[in-house]
Amino acid sequence: MGVVHGQEMVLNIGPQHPSTHGVLRLQVKTDGEIISEIKPFIGYLHRCFEKHCENVTYEQVIPFTDRCDYLASMANNFGYVVAMEELMEIKVPERVEYIRVIMAELQRIASHLLALGTFGLDVGAFTPFLYMFRDRERILDMFEMTCGARLLYNYMWVGGLSHDLPIGFVESAFRFLDYFEPKIEEYNNILTYNKIFIERTADVGVMPADVAISYGVSGPNLRGSGVKWDIRKDEPYSIYDRFDFDVPVGIGEKGNLGDCWDRFNVRLTEMGESIKILRQALTQIPKNGDVHQTIPKKIRPPKGSIYKRTETPRGDLGFYIISDGSPIPNRLKMRSPAFTALSVLDEIGRGWMLSDVIAILGSLDIVLGEIDR
Amino acid sequence: MSDERDKLIAEVVEKALQGEMDAINNIEDRVTRSKAKAALAKAKRAQTADSSPQIEASITGESTAPNTLSDNPNQKVGERISEKFPDSRDGEVADTHIQLKPDQWNEIAAWLKTEEDLLFDSLQCITGIDLGENVLEARYNLHSMKHRNAIEIRIAVSRDIAQIPSIEQVWRIGDWFERETYDMYGIRFTGHRDLRRILLPEDWEGWPLRKDYEVQETYHGIMVPKVKEGWE
Amino acid sequence: MTVDNLYNWLMGFFPGITESPILLIIAILVPCLALFLFIALYALVAIYGELKVSSFMQDRVGPMGQGVGLHAGKWGLLQPVADALKLLTKEDLIPEKADKTLFIMAPFMIFIGAFIAFVAIPFGETLIIADLNIGIFYLLAVGSLAVIALILAGWSSNNKWSLYGGMRSAAQIISYEIPAGVSIVIVIMLTGTLNMQDIIKYQDGGLFNWLIFANPFTFIAFFIYFISGIAETNRTPFDIPEAESEIVGGFHTEYSGMRFAFFFLSEYANMFVVSGIASTGFLGGWQSPISGYFNTPSWGVFWMLSKIMFLVFVMMWFRWTFPRLRVDQLMNVCWKVFLPIGLLNIFGVGIWTLIFG
Repeated sequence: MGVVHGQEMVLNIGPQHPSTHGVLRLQVKTDGEIISEIKPFIGYLHRCFEKHCENVTYEQVIPFTDRCDYLASMANNFGYVVAMEELMEIKVPERVEYIRVIMAELQRIASHLLALGTFGLDVGAFTPFLYMFRDRERILDMFEMTCGARLLYNYMWVGGLSHDLPIGFVESAFRFLDYFEPKIEEYNNILTYNKIFIERTADVGVMPADVAISYGVSGPNLRGSGVKWDIRKDEPYSIYDRFDFDVPVGIGEKGNLGDCWDRFNVRLTEMGESIKILRQALTQIPKNGDVHQTIPKKIRPPKGSIYKRTETPRGDLGFYIISDGSPIPNRLKMRSPAFTALSVLDEIGRGWMLSDVIAILGSLDIVLGEIDR
Repeated sequence: MSDERDKLIAEVVEKALQGEMDAINNIEDRVTRSKAKAALAKAKRAQTADSSPQIEASITGESTAPNTLSDNPNQKVGERISEKFPDSRDGEVADTHIQLKPDQWNEIAAWLKTEEDLLFDSLQCITGIDLGENVLEARYNLHSMKHRNAIEIRIAVSRDIAQIPSIEQVWRIGDWFERETYDMYGIRFTGHRDLRRILLPEDWEGWPLRKDYEVQETYHGIMVPKVKEGWE
Repeated sequence: MTVDNLYNWLMGFFPGITESPILLIIAILVPCLALFLFIALYALVAIYGELKVSSFMQDRVGPMGQGVGLHAGKWGLLQPVADALKLLTKEDLIPEKADKTLFIMAPFMIFIGAFIAFVAIPFGETLIIADLNIGIFYLLAVGSLAVIALILAGWSSNNKWSLYGGMRSAAQIISYEIPAGVSIVIVIMLTGTLNMQDIIKYQDGGLFNWLIFANPFTFIAFFIYFISGIAETNRTPFDIPEAESEIVGGFHTEYSGMRFAFFFLSEYANMFVVSGIASTGFLGGWQSPISGYFNTPSWGVFWMLSKIMFLVFVMMWFRWTFPRLRVDQLMNVCWKVFLPIGLLNIFGVGIWTLIFG
């Protein structure tokens, strides 16, 4: 049986499209429903992050990092301050480290909830999206309680934090964890093991491990392809080596290893691991400590450069900072995980249907703010 | 039907292992094609597991390979490069990085990726930098998923001949990283198959992250706001 | 029969005349107007229902009255009215490159398709506008009018997304006509009639005389019909022609204001029609579930409407629970699952009737 080839049509998905998660434009060549080529065009949200950084002081870079990955601002703050502290050889107090880990893991849960919810939306399931937003809201409430902001926090500073935890935070965090833990089962029931959802995602957009590594894909996307790689575990920064948690990887449960379903499930399981870390951190956190103690009066890192990676909800976030001894960075390069994740889209999205490409794009969990910077 | 398919998949995988990727790409049925690709990946993994436990190790996460380069990988890898590619080093030897000349970079990159005890299979980042004095530099952060080593390669070129061989086909992510560096610094990566601007519009003038960059006055008749100098 | 009754009643005022075309036209127009009002009212109820059903399923309250100046009435009851007013007052846009005639025609056509189907739906023993002797056949026939309108809308918008939507809906609706028709054949086989009222009368005598419980094959046939019906109305999980996250809105991407409202309205109207056929064919129509009780004509209307509204609710339930299928999976379900089972069903019912009937 031969295949009928029609005329190819060029289709612009975006810049305004419900499923491009921001302002992304995909120029696709389609033969009917089948997509034969995907060309992503990015830069619609380019805000000259790196150019700005060369014109502001090191402290002033932190709000910019917030705005790169606006869905995981805490994690971005964290990555930047970890790199800066290593460059300046600052050792921050225990309490600061614990608070940072707590915030980063809460942020991870919040970010994954949004990723999973919007992925559900991309394959047409509306209700799980709102369930996940309902729970994400409670995390944002806790962030608001801590630093007054709900999306862009500017919370972690080089050498410390902007505020200490408010009174009652630990209790409310425990209350949240008790509330949230059973919800993962609810998500499994309504979405993960839904027959239609499995049909739509299993075996779709298979990303083999070597392709993923070659494309620099990291984080849950890489783990979805079965590679057990998590910087929190493998190159521990901050105090992650103290906690006991697993690194969930895809096992190809519903189809080939590295399909959309695996990536989805890795994120879902990872939220459970974050809960584990949070419980340990909230129990072990020292009661007292000054979060402003080690904040330097003037940030003038010694001459030199550093490349430091941290694990954000989206993967390896790298900061390459070159200092010339002045209070202004000579060069600051951000290696964003979503940038690499988007670059693999053409490779794994070719030959699938339009609907599948939308699902694959959703499963990669990209944030355009971070891609375009 | 499924028997036939299995047979077909086995056939094409066999072919692909001998280097004929077209056999797989020519399969009309999408499902079969993706299955064949998966089978190929599996077969390749099995093959490499025989010769080297590269991907297998990173998959199981049990990287027990002795880390021969643990203390100061930059220096040791630098020495290996000098052995293999004499006359490729540039400038003085340092602990923090390996300075290379651009000429042989493509071969060195391919070698770094495949050499048994190096296996730098992951390109983390390409950072461009304007060092002043007419020198542009590209810095490559490499990482090995198996040996858990990280090195930094630096390649400096002068502005007049800002050309570095592209490693886009060695590490596929190099494609976009090189385009970004090109976009910001104007370093031409020779051999790149699709070297276009990536973040800025195609018709933007100048290379914004060079230190002497002058913002163009207007863009398509729109005033371009100046970046304020000297914020403190 | 409503038209006949009305005509005879009107003729009663003019004893001398034996035939009056004017009165006939009045007798036809009055039920049509009533029907139009009914559809409008039903749409308001259904939209409000959809809002509230979705809200409760998604753990939120939905439209609510909040106090003076802020509200959409008690429990948000005025929300659908506000929606309707918003759609009425919105600017009506026609894309410059669109084929204007077809673009304007499409929403009317789809609404006409939905509207004329109501004519043959029996709301009660005497409450049916036209008691056609080929009622069920007529309903299936006019049900597929929608596909022409959808293709028109998709094509005339001159938009790639609309084109995708139009093509998808054409493939989908035409495919699902077949399993739906095959399931209805079973009803016709058992009842031996195409007349809606006769089909309902056949199911007299309580819950277990309904065709859905007549034998195992009709039980399956009901579900095949209902699922195909959902596919025909483009509801989730079969909403691929208007899949918002994929093709932005499909055939109605370019429509705004009142024209969009017509698409919206006819989607709800189609839900009603599909549920109406399902309850007539399989759930006993206006028959009471308990034999001999609650069987007066007014109860009949109640039963019919509650059965229909229950099925409409089930459709909403599906929509807020399931993800969307892909276009090829949708076709697979139709051609590789429903059609063979449907054909086997016909065979099975035949055998069953021979042995037990």
